[in-house]
Amino acid sequence: MVSNSDRPSNGALATVSRRVIEGVLTAWAAVSLTFFALRLIAGDPVASLLSQGLASPDQVENLRRSLGLDAPLLIQYLKFLSGLFRGDLGTSLYTSRPVGTVIAEQLPATAQLALTGLGFALLIGLTLGVISAWKEETSLGQFAASTAGLATALPVAFTGILGLILYRQILGVMPILGHDVVRRLILPASLLGFASAGAIARVVQASLKETMKGPYILAARARGIGHGFRLLWHALRPALPPVVSLTALEAAFLFAGTVVTETVFSRPGLGRLLVTSILQGDYPIAQGLVALAAMFYTTSHMLADILAFTIDPRLRRVT
Amino acid sequence: MRHHLSVFLSIGWLLLVFGMSIVVPMISDTNPRQPVSEPLLSPAQHPPLGTDALGRDVWTRIVHGGRISPGASLVATIITVLVGGIAGLIASSMGGWLDRVIVWLSNSFLAIPGLLLAMLLVAAMGPRLLTVILAVGFGAAPGFVRLSRTVFLQIREQNYVTASIALGANRSWIASHHILPNTKNQLLSLATTHYAWAFMGTTTLTFLGLAGDPSIPEWGVMLNAGRAHIIDAPWLALLPGCAISLTILAVHRLGAWLSEME
Repeated sequence: MVSNSDRPSNGALATVSRRVIEGVLTAWAAVSLTFFALRLIAGDPVASLLSQGLASPDQVENLRRSLGLDAPLLIQYLKFLSGLFRGDLGTSLYTSRPVGTVIAEQLPATAQLALTGLGFALLIGLTLGVISAWKEETSLGQFAASTAGLATALPVAFTGILGLILYRQILGVMPILGHDVVRRLILPASLLGFASAGAIARVVQASLKETMKGPYILAARARGIGHGFRLLWHALRPALPPVVSLTALEAAFLFAGTVVTETVFSRPGLGRLLVTSILQGDYPIAQGLVALAAMFYTTSHMLADILAFTIDPRLRRVT
Repeated sequence: MRHHLSVFLSIGWLLLVFGMSIVVPMISDTNPRQPVSEPLLSPAQHPPLGTDALGRDVWTRIVHGGRISPGASLVATIITVLVGGIAGLIASSMGGWLDRVIVWLSNSFLAIPGLLLAMLLVAAMGPRLLTVILAVGFGAAPGFVRLSRTVFLQIREQNYVTASIALGANRSWIASHHILPNTKNQLLSLATTHYAWAFMGTTTLTFLGLAGDPSIPEWGVMLNAGRAHIIDAPWLALLPGCAISLTILAVHRLGAWLSEME
Protein backbone atom coordinates (compact mmCIF):
# COMPACT_ATOMS: atom_id res chain seq x y z
CA MET A 1 0.00 0.00 0.00
CA VAL A 2 2.88 2.32 0.70
CA SER A 3 5.04 1.28 -2.21
CA ASN A 4 3.31 3.15 -5.00
CA SER A 5 1.68 5.92 -3.02
CA ASP A 6 2.93 8.64 -5.34
CA ARG A 7 1.45 7.07 -8.43
CA PRO A 8 -1.99 8.54 -9.23
CA SER A 9 -4.64 5.82 -9.41
CA ASN A 10 -7.23 5.58 -12.14
CA GLY A 11 -10.30 6.13 -10.01
CA ALA A 12 -12.27 4.65 -7.21
CA LEU A 13 -13.39 1.56 -9.14
CA ALA A 14 -9.82 0.37 -9.68
CA THR A 15 -9.04 0.89 -6.00
CA VAL A 16 -12.09 -1.04 -4.90
CA SER A 17 -11.60 -3.92 -7.33
CA ARG A 18 -7.94 -4.25 -6.33
CA ARG A 19 -9.02 -4.38 -2.71
CA VAL A 20 -11.61 -7.08 -3.50
CA ILE A 21 -9.05 -9.27 -5.30
CA GLU A 22 -6.65 -8.84 -2.38
CA GLY A 23 -9.43 -9.83 0.05
CA VAL A 24 -10.36 -12.95 -1.92
CA LEU A 25 -6.69 -14.02 -2.03
CA THR A 26 -6.28 -13.55 1.73
CA ALA A 27 -9.47 -15.50 2.43
CA TRP A 28 -8.27 -18.33 0.18
CA ALA A 29 -4.90 -18.42 1.92
CA ALA A 30 -6.48 -18.43 5.37
CA VAL A 31 -8.90 -21.20 4.48
CA SER A 32 -6.08 -23.30 2.98
CA LEU A 33 -3.91 -22.78 6.05
CA THR A 34 -6.84 -23.91 8.21
CA PHE A 35 -7.14 -27.08 6.16
CA PHE A 36 -3.44 -27.94 6.13
CA ALA A 37 -2.84 -26.95 9.77
CA LEU A 38 -5.56 -29.35 10.90
CA ARG A 39 -4.46 -32.22 8.66
CA LEU A 40 -0.71 -31.97 9.15
CA ILE A 41 -0.82 -31.52 12.93
CA ALA A 42 -3.76 -33.75 13.72
CA GLY A 43 -2.70 -36.54 11.41
CA ASP A 44 -5.69 -38.83 11.17
CA PRO A 45 -8.86 -37.04 12.35
CA VAL A 46 -10.84 -40.23 12.87
CA ALA A 47 -8.12 -41.93 14.93
CA SER A 48 -9.54 -40.26 18.05
CA LEU A 49 -12.82 -42.13 17.51
CA LEU A 50 -10.89 -45.36 17.57
CA SER A 51 -8.88 -44.42 20.65
CA GLN A 52 -12.00 -43.33 22.53
CA GLY A 53 -13.51 -46.72 21.78
CA LEU A 54 -16.42 -45.11 19.96
CA ALA A 55 -15.91 -47.18 16.83
CA SER A 56 -14.40 -50.50 15.82
CA PRO A 57 -11.41 -50.59 13.43
CA ASP A 58 -13.74 -51.71 10.62
CA GLN A 59 -16.13 -48.84 11.23
CA VAL A 60 -13.23 -46.37 11.30
CA GLU A 61 -11.99 -47.77 8.00
CA ASN A 62 -15.45 -47.35 6.47
CA LEU A 63 -15.78 -43.83 7.88
CA ARG A 64 -12.38 -42.94 6.49
CA ARG A 65 -13.43 -44.13 3.06
CA SER A 66 -16.79 -42.35 3.16
CA LEU A 67 -15.10 -39.10 4.25
CA GLY A 68 -12.56 -39.46 1.46
CA LEU A 69 -9.68 -39.55 3.95
CA ASP A 70 -7.98 -42.43 2.10
CA ALA A 71 -7.36 -40.13 -0.89
CA PRO A 72 -4.08 -38.16 -1.20
CA LEU A 73 -3.97 -34.89 0.75
CA LEU A 74 -4.00 -32.73 -2.39
CA ILE A 75 -7.16 -34.42 -3.71
CA GLN A 76 -8.79 -33.95 -0.29
CA TYR A 77 -7.81 -30.27 -0.38
CA LEU A 78 -9.28 -29.73 -3.85
CA LYS A 79 -12.46 -31.50 -2.74
CA PHE A 80 -12.63 -29.27 0.35
CA LEU A 81 -12.19 -26.11 -1.76
CA SER A 82 -14.77 -27.10 -4.36
CA GLY A 83 -17.17 -28.06 -1.55
CA LEU A 84 -16.62 -24.66 0.03
CA PHE A 85 -17.61 -22.95 -3.25
CA ARG A 86 -20.80 -25.00 -3.38
CA GLY A 87 -21.52 -24.27 0.29
CA ASP A 88 -20.81 -27.88 1.24
CA LEU A 89 -18.60 -28.11 4.32
CA GLY A 90 -18.79 -31.88 4.83
CA THR A 91 -20.65 -33.83 7.51
CA SER A 92 -20.28 -34.00 11.28
CA LEU A 93 -18.40 -37.06 12.53
CA TYR A 94 -20.82 -37.57 15.40
CA THR A 95 -24.26 -36.77 14.05
CA SER A 96 -23.57 -37.31 10.31
CA ARG A 97 -25.52 -34.12 9.63
CA PRO A 98 -24.21 -31.61 7.06
CA VAL A 99 -21.85 -29.08 8.72
CA GLY A 100 -23.52 -26.24 6.78
CA THR A 101 -26.91 -27.07 8.30
CA VAL A 102 -25.51 -27.37 11.82
CA ILE A 103 -23.79 -23.99 11.47
CA ALA A 104 -26.86 -22.33 9.90
CA GLU A 105 -28.97 -23.44 12.88
CA GLN A 106 -26.66 -21.77 15.38
CA LEU A 107 -25.82 -18.69 13.29
CA PRO A 108 -28.82 -16.45 14.17
CA ALA A 109 -28.16 -16.64 17.92
CA THR A 110 -24.51 -15.66 17.48
CA ALA A 111 -25.25 -12.98 14.87
CA GLN A 112 -27.77 -11.40 17.23
CA LEU A 113 -25.29 -11.42 20.10
CA ALA A 114 -22.35 -10.17 18.01
CA LEU A 115 -24.31 -7.38 16.27
CA THR A 116 -25.80 -6.11 19.52
CA GLY A 117 -22.33 -6.39 21.03
CA LEU A 118 -20.85 -4.36 18.17
CA GLY A 119 -23.50 -1.68 18.74
CA PHE A 120 -22.51 -1.52 22.42
CA ALA A 121 -18.81 -1.50 21.51
CA LEU A 122 -19.27 1.53 19.21
CA LEU A 123 -21.52 3.32 21.67
CA ILE A 124 -19.22 2.82 24.66
CA GLY A 125 -16.02 3.24 22.62
CA LEU A 126 -17.03 6.49 20.90
CA THR A 127 -18.35 7.94 24.17
CA LEU A 128 -15.22 7.08 26.15
CA GLY A 129 -12.92 8.19 23.31
CA VAL A 130 -14.61 11.56 22.75
CA ILE A 131 -14.79 12.26 26.50
CA SER A 132 -11.13 11.39 27.03
CA ALA A 133 -10.07 13.63 24.09
CA TRP A 134 -12.43 16.46 24.99
CA LYS A 135 -11.84 16.63 28.74
CA GLU A 136 -8.25 15.41 28.55
CA GLU A 137 -6.98 17.55 31.43
CA THR A 138 -9.88 16.92 33.83
CA SER A 139 -10.50 13.95 36.07
CA LEU A 140 -13.52 12.99 33.95
CA GLY A 141 -11.25 12.60 30.92
CA GLN A 142 -8.75 10.57 32.90
CA PHE A 143 -11.56 8.41 34.26
CA ALA A 144 -12.75 7.74 30.69
CA ALA A 145 -9.20 6.89 29.59
CA SER A 146 -8.61 4.48 32.46
CA THR A 147 -12.01 2.84 31.95
CA ALA A 148 -10.98 2.23 28.34
CA GLY A 149 -7.73 0.71 29.62
CA LEU A 150 -9.61 -1.57 32.01
CA ALA A 151 -11.97 -2.64 29.22
CA THR A 152 -9.08 -4.00 27.15
CA ALA A 153 -7.35 -5.64 30.10
CA LEU A 154 -10.22 -7.48 31.79
CA PRO A 155 -11.07 -10.88 30.33
CA VAL A 156 -14.66 -11.36 29.14
CA ALA A 157 -14.87 -14.55 31.20
CA PHE A 158 -14.42 -12.49 34.38
CA THR A 159 -16.48 -9.38 33.49
CA GLY A 160 -19.25 -11.72 32.34
CA ILE A 161 -19.37 -13.59 35.64
CA LEU A 162 -19.06 -10.31 37.57
CA GLY A 163 -21.98 -8.92 35.55
CA LEU A 164 -24.05 -12.04 36.25
CA ILE A 165 -23.36 -11.84 40.00
CA LEU A 166 -24.22 -8.12 40.17
CA TYR A 167 -27.30 -8.70 38.04
CA ARG A 168 -28.54 -11.46 40.35
CA GLN A 169 -27.93 -9.24 43.38
CA ILE A 170 -29.87 -6.30 41.85
CA LEU A 171 -32.58 -8.64 40.63
CA GLY A 172 -32.98 -9.92 44.17
CA VAL A 173 -33.79 -6.39 45.32
CA MET A 174 -36.03 -5.22 42.48
CA PRO A 175 -37.50 -7.40 39.75
CA ILE A 176 -36.91 -5.69 36.37
CA LEU A 177 -39.61 -5.73 33.74
CA GLY A 178 -38.75 -7.92 30.76
CA HIS A 179 -35.66 -9.21 32.51
CA ASP A 180 -35.52 -12.17 30.17
CA VAL A 181 -34.29 -9.96 27.32
CA VAL A 182 -31.84 -8.29 29.70
CA ARG A 183 -30.51 -11.62 30.98
CA ARG A 184 -30.28 -13.30 27.58
CA LEU A 185 -29.19 -10.48 25.30
CA ILE A 186 -28.54 -7.04 26.81
CA LEU A 187 -26.25 -8.23 29.61
CA PRO A 188 -24.06 -10.55 27.50
CA ALA A 189 -23.96 -8.14 24.55
CA SER A 190 -23.02 -5.12 26.66
CA LEU A 191 -20.21 -7.01 28.38
CA LEU A 192 -19.00 -8.36 25.03
CA GLY A 193 -19.13 -4.82 23.63
CA PHE A 194 -17.31 -3.42 26.65
CA ALA A 195 -14.35 -5.70 25.92
CA SER A 196 -13.99 -4.26 22.40
CA ALA A 197 -14.83 -0.69 23.44
CA GLY A 198 -11.43 -0.06 25.03
CA ALA A 199 -9.50 -0.40 21.77
CA ILE A 200 -12.07 1.69 19.88
CA ALA A 201 -11.93 4.43 22.55
CA ARG A 202 -8.15 4.56 22.36
CA VAL A 203 -8.16 4.94 18.57
CA VAL A 204 -10.95 7.55 18.68
CA GLN A 205 -8.97 9.56 21.23
CA ALA A 206 -5.65 9.31 19.36
CA SER A 207 -7.25 10.05 16.01
CA LEU A 208 -9.20 13.05 17.38
CA LYS A 209 -6.07 14.49 18.97
CA GLU A 210 -4.28 14.15 15.64
CA THR A 211 -7.00 15.83 13.57
CA MET A 212 -7.39 18.58 16.16
CA LYS A 213 -3.89 19.73 15.16
CA GLY A 214 -5.06 20.36 11.57
CA PRO A 215 -5.02 23.90 10.13
CA TYR A 216 -8.77 23.82 9.45
CA ILE A 217 -9.38 23.35 13.17
CA LEU A 218 -7.30 26.46 13.84
CA ALA A 219 -9.33 28.26 11.15
CA ALA A 220 -12.54 27.14 12.83
CA ARG A 221 -11.22 28.42 16.11
CA ALA A 222 -10.38 31.77 14.48
CA ARG A 223 -14.00 31.97 13.30
CA GLY A 224 -15.03 31.80 16.94
CA ILE A 225 -16.32 28.21 16.97
CA GLY A 226 -16.30 26.64 20.44
CA HIS A 227 -14.07 23.74 21.51
CA GLY A 228 -16.82 21.12 21.78
CA PHE A 229 -18.35 22.00 18.43
CA ARG A 230 -14.94 21.98 16.71
CA LEU A 231 -14.25 18.55 18.16
CA LEU A 232 -17.58 16.95 17.28
CA TRP A 233 -18.29 18.68 13.96
CA HIS A 234 -14.94 19.52 12.38
CA ALA A 235 -12.61 16.90 13.79
CA LEU A 236 -14.72 13.79 14.27
CA ARG A 237 -15.42 12.98 10.62
CA PRO A 238 -11.81 13.11 9.43
CA ALA A 239 -10.91 11.15 12.56
CA LEU A 240 -13.27 8.31 11.66
CA PRO A 241 -11.42 6.20 8.99
CA PRO A 242 -9.03 4.54 11.47
CA VAL A 243 -11.99 3.94 13.76
CA VAL A 244 -13.90 2.23 10.95
CA SER A 245 -10.98 -0.07 10.11
CA LEU A 246 -10.55 -0.93 13.77
CA THR A 247 -14.26 -1.62 14.14
CA ALA A 248 -14.01 -4.12 11.29
CA LEU A 249 -11.13 -5.85 13.12
CA GLU A 250 -13.12 -5.77 16.32
CA ALA A 251 -16.13 -7.27 14.52
CA ALA A 252 -14.06 -10.37 13.86
CA PHE A 253 -12.73 -10.39 17.43
CA LEU A 254 -16.29 -10.04 18.67
CA PHE A 255 -16.97 -13.31 16.92
CA ALA A 256 -14.12 -14.85 18.90
CA GLY A 257 -15.45 -13.12 22.01
CA THR A 258 -18.86 -14.72 21.56
CA VAL A 259 -17.17 -18.07 22.20
CA VAL A 260 -16.50 -16.98 25.78
CA THR A 261 -19.71 -14.99 26.24
CA GLU A 262 -21.86 -17.91 25.13
CA THR A 263 -20.12 -20.17 27.63
CA VAL A 264 -20.48 -17.67 30.49
CA PHE A 265 -24.17 -17.02 29.86
CA SER A 266 -24.96 -20.58 28.70
CA ARG A 267 -26.29 -19.22 25.40
CA PRO A 268 -26.52 -21.47 22.35
CA GLY A 269 -24.56 -20.39 19.28
CA LEU A 270 -21.51 -20.88 17.08
CA GLY A 271 -19.10 -20.38 19.97
CA ARG A 272 -20.61 -23.22 21.99
CA LEU A 273 -20.65 -25.30 18.83
CA LEU A 274 -16.93 -24.69 18.27
CA VAL A 275 -16.00 -25.61 21.85
CA THR A 276 -18.08 -28.80 21.86
CA SER A 277 -16.81 -29.85 18.43
CA ILE A 278 -13.20 -29.42 19.62
CA LEU A 279 -13.84 -31.35 22.82
CA GLN A 280 -15.50 -34.15 20.84
CA GLY A 281 -12.83 -34.16 18.14
CA ASP A 282 -15.47 -33.39 15.49
CA TYR A 283 -12.97 -31.82 13.09
CA PRO A 284 -15.26 -31.05 10.10
CA ILE A 285 -17.32 -28.68 12.26
CA ALA A 286 -14.28 -26.98 13.81
CA GLN A 287 -12.66 -26.63 10.39
CA GLY A 288 -15.84 -25.24 8.82
CA LEU A 289 -16.33 -22.72 11.62
CA VAL A 290 -12.76 -21.41 11.51
CA ALA A 291 -12.82 -21.22 7.69
CA LEU A 292 -16.07 -19.27 7.93
CA ALA A 293 -14.58 -16.95 10.54
CA ALA A 294 -11.59 -16.29 8.28
CA MET A 295 -13.84 -15.46 5.33
CA PHE A 296 -16.00 -13.26 7.54
CA TYR A 297 -12.93 -11.44 8.81
CA THR A 298 -11.49 -10.74 5.36
CA THR A 299 -14.89 -9.60 4.07
CA SER A 300 -15.48 -7.23 6.96
CA HIS A 301 -11.95 -5.89 6.65
CA MET A 302 -12.44 -5.34 2.93
CA LEU A 303 -15.78 -3.58 3.46
CA ALA A 304 -14.18 -1.38 6.10
CA ASP A 305 -11.46 -0.27 3.68
CA ILE A 306 -14.06 0.51 1.03
CA LEU A 307 -16.15 2.38 3.61
CA ALA A 308 -13.06 4.35 4.63
CA PHE A 309 -12.66 5.50 1.00
CA THR A 310 -16.24 6.75 1.14
CA ILE A 311 -15.79 8.66 4.39
CA ASP A 312 -12.46 10.20 3.44
CA PRO A 313 -12.16 10.79 -0.33
CA ARG A 314 -8.46 11.66 0.11
CA LEU A 315 -7.67 7.99 0.74
CA ARG A 316 -8.83 7.00 -2.78
CA ARG A 317 -5.73 8.49 -4.34
CA VAL A 318 -3.11 6.87 -2.18
CA THR A 319 -3.88 3.19 -2.37
CA MET B 1 5.93 9.25 42.02
CA ARG B 2 2.30 8.17 41.61
CA HIS B 3 3.50 6.76 38.33
CA HIS B 4 6.00 4.52 40.00
CA LEU B 5 3.70 3.38 42.77
CA SER B 6 1.61 1.42 40.25
CA VAL B 7 4.77 -0.12 38.78
CA PHE B 8 5.92 -1.19 42.28
CA LEU B 9 2.48 -2.62 43.02
CA SER B 10 2.51 -4.54 39.72
CA ILE B 11 5.94 -6.04 40.31
CA GLY B 12 4.91 -6.74 43.91
CA TRP B 13 1.80 -8.63 42.82
CA LEU B 14 3.66 -10.75 40.29
CA LEU B 15 6.42 -11.58 42.80
CA LEU B 16 3.80 -12.41 45.43
CA VAL B 17 1.94 -14.78 43.09
CA PHE B 18 5.06 -16.53 41.92
CA GLY B 19 6.72 -16.59 45.35
CA MET B 20 3.65 -18.02 47.09
CA SER B 21 3.25 -20.71 44.45
CA ILE B 22 6.78 -21.90 45.23
CA VAL B 23 6.90 -21.40 49.00
CA VAL B 24 3.44 -22.62 50.05
CA PRO B 25 3.66 -26.10 48.46
CA MET B 26 6.98 -26.55 50.35
CA ILE B 27 5.52 -25.82 53.78
CA SER B 28 2.02 -27.22 53.34
CA ASP B 29 1.22 -30.69 52.03
CA THR B 30 -2.47 -30.07 51.20
CA ASN B 31 -3.17 -31.66 47.84
CA PRO B 32 -4.95 -29.17 45.52
CA ARG B 33 -6.64 -32.04 43.67
CA GLN B 34 -7.98 -33.94 46.70
CA PRO B 35 -11.00 -33.07 48.87
CA VAL B 36 -10.06 -31.97 52.38
CA SER B 37 -13.46 -31.24 53.88
CA GLU B 38 -17.18 -30.77 53.19
CA PRO B 39 -18.01 -29.16 49.81
CA LEU B 40 -18.89 -25.45 49.45
CA LEU B 41 -17.77 -24.32 52.90
CA SER B 42 -17.58 -20.54 53.19
CA PRO B 43 -14.24 -18.83 53.97
CA ALA B 44 -15.51 -18.39 57.57
CA GLN B 45 -16.22 -22.11 58.02
CA HIS B 46 -12.97 -23.30 56.44
CA PRO B 47 -10.32 -20.57 56.59
CA PRO B 48 -8.81 -18.90 54.76
CA LEU B 49 -10.84 -19.22 51.53
CA GLY B 50 -13.33 -22.07 52.01
CA THR B 51 -13.79 -25.16 49.85
CA ASP B 52 -15.08 -25.73 46.31
CA ALA B 53 -17.92 -27.92 45.02
CA LEU B 54 -15.80 -31.06 45.52
CA GLY B 55 -14.55 -30.08 48.97
CA ARG B 56 -11.06 -29.09 47.81
CA ASP B 57 -9.21 -26.29 49.62
CA VAL B 58 -9.66 -23.10 47.56
CA TRP B 59 -6.62 -21.36 49.10
CA THR B 60 -4.32 -24.23 48.10
CA ARG B 61 -5.78 -24.34 44.61
CA ILE B 62 -5.40 -20.57 44.09
CA VAL B 63 -1.80 -20.62 45.33
CA HIS B 64 -0.83 -23.63 43.22
CA GLY B 65 -2.52 -21.91 40.26
CA GLY B 66 0.00 -19.09 40.62
CA ARG B 67 2.50 -21.33 38.88
CA ILE B 68 0.31 -22.91 36.21
CA SER B 69 -1.26 -20.10 34.18
CA PRO B 70 1.63 -17.61 34.59
CA GLY B 71 4.16 -20.35 33.81
CA ALA B 72 2.18 -21.65 30.86
CA SER B 73 1.89 -18.12 29.45
CA LEU B 74 5.63 -17.62 29.91
CA VAL B 75 6.39 -20.74 27.85
CA ALA B 76 3.83 -19.64 25.24
CA THR B 77 5.41 -16.17 25.05
CA ILE B 78 8.88 -17.67 24.61
CA ILE B 79 7.53 -19.76 21.71
CA THR B 80 5.90 -16.68 20.15
CA VAL B 81 8.99 -14.50 20.50
CA LEU B 82 11.38 -17.17 19.20
CA VAL B 83 9.26 -18.31 16.25
CA GLY B 84 7.89 -14.87 15.35
CA GLY B 85 11.15 -13.04 16.04
CA ILE B 86 13.29 -15.41 13.99
CA ALA B 87 10.85 -15.28 11.07
CA GLY B 88 10.73 -11.48 11.36
CA LEU B 89 14.52 -11.27 11.47
CA ILE B 90 14.88 -13.53 8.42
CA ALA B 91 12.23 -11.55 6.52
CA SER B 92 13.77 -8.18 7.35
CA SER B 93 17.40 -9.12 6.68
CA MET B 94 16.91 -11.25 3.56
CA GLY B 95 14.32 -9.03 1.86
CA GLY B 96 13.21 -10.01 -1.65
CA TRP B 97 10.91 -12.95 -2.31
CA LEU B 98 11.55 -14.60 1.08
CA ASP B 99 10.41 -11.41 2.83
CA ARG B 100 7.28 -11.27 0.67
CA VAL B 101 6.45 -14.95 1.31
CA ILE B 102 6.88 -14.60 5.09
CA VAL B 103 4.79 -11.42 5.21
CA TRP B 104 2.09 -12.95 3.02
CA LEU B 105 1.98 -16.13 5.14
CA SER B 106 1.73 -14.23 8.42
CA ASN B 107 -0.93 -11.91 7.00
CA SER B 108 -2.97 -14.93 5.91
CA PHE B 109 -2.72 -16.42 9.39
CA LEU B 110 -3.76 -13.03 10.79
CA ALA B 111 -7.04 -13.35 8.89
CA ILE B 112 -8.00 -15.84 11.60
CA PRO B 113 -8.49 -14.10 14.97
CA GLY B 114 -5.75 -15.19 17.40
CA LEU B 115 -8.09 -16.93 19.81
CA LEU B 116 -9.74 -18.93 17.01
CA LEU B 117 -6.36 -19.87 15.54
CA ALA B 118 -5.32 -21.12 18.98
CA MET B 119 -8.59 -23.07 19.26
CA LEU B 120 -7.99 -24.59 15.84
CA LEU B 121 -4.55 -25.76 16.98
CA VAL B 122 -6.08 -27.27 20.13
CA ALA B 123 -8.62 -29.01 17.88
CA ALA B 124 -5.73 -30.47 15.89
CA MET B 125 -3.69 -31.61 18.89
CA GLY B 126 -6.44 -32.59 21.31
CA PRO B 127 -7.52 -30.73 24.48
CA ARG B 128 -4.67 -30.81 27.04
CA LEU B 129 -2.78 -28.12 28.97
CA LEU B 130 0.34 -28.71 26.86
CA THR B 131 -1.55 -28.19 23.62
CA VAL B 132 -3.11 -25.01 25.05
CA ILE B 133 0.40 -23.66 25.68
CA LEU B 134 1.60 -24.60 22.18
CA ALA B 135 -1.57 -23.23 20.59
CA VAL B 136 -1.33 -19.88 22.38
CA GLY B 137 2.39 -19.64 21.55
CA PHE B 138 2.12 -20.51 17.87
CA GLY B 139 -1.24 -18.74 17.50
CA ALA B 140 0.32 -15.39 18.40
CA ALA B 141 3.47 -15.93 16.30
CA PRO B 142 2.10 -14.46 12.99
CA GLY B 143 1.30 -11.17 14.73
CA PHE B 144 4.75 -11.12 16.28
CA VAL B 145 6.37 -11.66 12.86
CA ARG B 146 4.77 -8.45 11.62
CA LEU B 147 5.62 -6.41 14.73
CA SER B 148 9.23 -7.58 15.03
CA ARG B 149 9.84 -7.18 11.30
CA THR B 150 8.80 -3.51 11.53
CA VAL B 151 11.09 -3.01 14.54
CA PHE B 152 14.03 -4.70 12.76
CA LEU B 153 13.48 -2.74 9.55
CA GLN B 154 13.63 0.57 11.44
CA ILE B 155 17.20 -0.22 12.47
CA ARG B 156 18.14 -1.77 9.14
CA GLU B 157 17.30 1.45 7.34
CA GLN B 158 19.58 3.55 9.56
CA ASN B 159 22.58 5.17 7.89
CA TYR B 160 25.17 3.32 9.97
CA VAL B 161 23.81 -0.01 8.78
CA THR B 162 24.04 1.14 5.17
CA ALA B 163 27.60 2.25 5.92
CA SER B 164 28.34 -1.15 7.42
CA ILE B 165 27.00 -2.89 4.30
CA ALA B 166 29.19 -0.60 2.18
CA LEU B 167 32.17 -1.72 4.27
CA GLY B 168 31.40 -5.31 3.35
CA ALA B 169 29.43 -6.63 6.34
CA ASN B 170 27.26 -9.63 5.54
CA ARG B 171 23.67 -10.22 6.67
CA SER B 172 24.36 -12.34 9.72
CA TRP B 173 26.99 -9.88 11.00
CA ILE B 174 24.52 -7.01 10.64
CA ALA B 175 21.79 -9.00 12.34
CA SER B 176 23.97 -9.95 15.31
CA HIS B 177 25.97 -6.71 15.67
CA HIS B 178 23.52 -3.98 14.70
CA ILE B 179 19.94 -5.16 14.59
CA LEU B 180 19.57 -7.41 17.65
CA PRO B 181 21.56 -5.25 20.14
CA ASN B 182 19.69 -2.11 19.09
CA THR B 183 16.23 -3.65 19.21
CA LYS B 184 16.46 -5.76 22.36
CA ASN B 185 14.69 -3.19 24.56
CA GLN B 186 11.86 -2.80 22.10
CA LEU B 187 11.61 -6.58 21.75
CA LEU B 188 11.44 -6.92 25.53
CA SER B 189 8.55 -4.48 25.77
CA LEU B 190 6.80 -6.20 22.83
CA ALA B 191 7.30 -9.54 24.58
CA THR B 192 5.85 -8.14 27.81
CA THR B 193 2.75 -6.94 25.95
CA HIS B 194 2.54 -10.36 24.34
CA TYR B 195 2.78 -12.02 27.73
CA ALA B 196 -0.43 -10.23 28.76
CA TRP B 197 -2.11 -11.54 25.61
CA ALA B 198 -0.76 -15.04 26.18
CA PHE B 199 -2.03 -15.00 29.76
CA MET B 200 -5.46 -13.85 28.65
CA GLY B 201 -5.43 -16.50 25.88
CA THR B 202 -4.32 -19.33 28.17
CA THR B 203 -6.88 -18.61 30.87
CA THR B 204 -9.60 -18.15 28.24
CA LEU B 205 -8.86 -21.51 26.63
CA THR B 206 -8.69 -23.30 29.97
CA PHE B 207 -11.90 -21.49 30.99
CA LEU B 208 -13.54 -23.01 27.90
CA GLY B 209 -12.48 -26.45 29.16
CA LEU B 210 -9.80 -26.96 26.51
CA ALA B 211 -7.19 -27.99 29.10
CA GLY B 212 -9.13 -31.25 29.26
CA ASP B 213 -8.49 -32.15 32.90
CA PRO B 214 -11.02 -30.36 35.16
CA SER B 215 -9.11 -31.17 38.35
CA ILE B 216 -5.97 -29.08 37.68
CA PRO B 217 -5.67 -26.07 40.02
CA GLU B 218 -5.61 -23.57 37.16
CA TRP B 219 -7.33 -20.17 37.46
CA GLY B 220 -9.31 -20.39 34.19
CA VAL B 221 -10.53 -23.89 35.08
CA MET B 222 -11.50 -22.67 38.56
CA LEU B 223 -13.33 -19.64 37.12
CA ASN B 224 -15.38 -21.95 34.93
CA ALA B 225 -16.13 -24.32 37.82
CA GLY B 226 -17.24 -21.35 39.92
CA ARG B 227 -19.86 -20.43 37.32
CA ALA B 228 -22.28 -23.02 38.70
CA HIS B 229 -22.18 -21.46 42.19
CA ILE B 230 -22.45 -17.72 41.65
CA ILE B 231 -25.45 -17.55 44.01
CA ASP B 232 -24.46 -19.86 46.87
CA ALA B 233 -20.67 -19.46 46.73
CA PRO B 234 -19.72 -16.45 44.55
CA TRP B 235 -16.14 -16.40 45.87
CA LEU B 236 -15.41 -19.58 43.92
CA ALA B 237 -15.58 -17.55 40.69
CA LEU B 238 -14.56 -14.15 42.08
CA LEU B 239 -11.21 -15.24 43.57
CA PRO B 240 -9.65 -16.82 40.45
CA GLY B 241 -11.28 -14.09 38.32
CA CYS B 242 -9.63 -11.37 40.40
CA ALA B 243 -6.30 -13.22 40.32
CA ILE B 244 -6.44 -13.40 36.50
CA SER B 245 -7.48 -9.75 36.12
CA LEU B 246 -4.87 -8.41 38.57
CA THR B 247 -2.13 -10.36 36.81
CA ILE B 248 -3.17 -9.02 33.38
CA LEU B 249 -3.37 -5.44 34.74
CA ALA B 250 0.07 -5.80 36.38
CA VAL B 251 1.67 -7.09 33.18
CA HIS B 252 0.00 -4.33 31.14
CA ARG B 253 1.39 -1.73 33.56
CA LEU B 254 4.88 -3.26 33.31
CA GLY B 255 4.68 -3.28 29.51
CA ALA B 256 3.65 0.38 29.43
CA TRP B 257 6.47 1.24 31.85
CA LEU B 258 9.03 -0.62 29.72
CA SER B 259 7.96 1.19 26.56
CA GLU B 260 8.09 4.56 28.39
CA MET B 261 11.70 3.84 29.36
CA GLU B 262 12.86 3.55 25.75
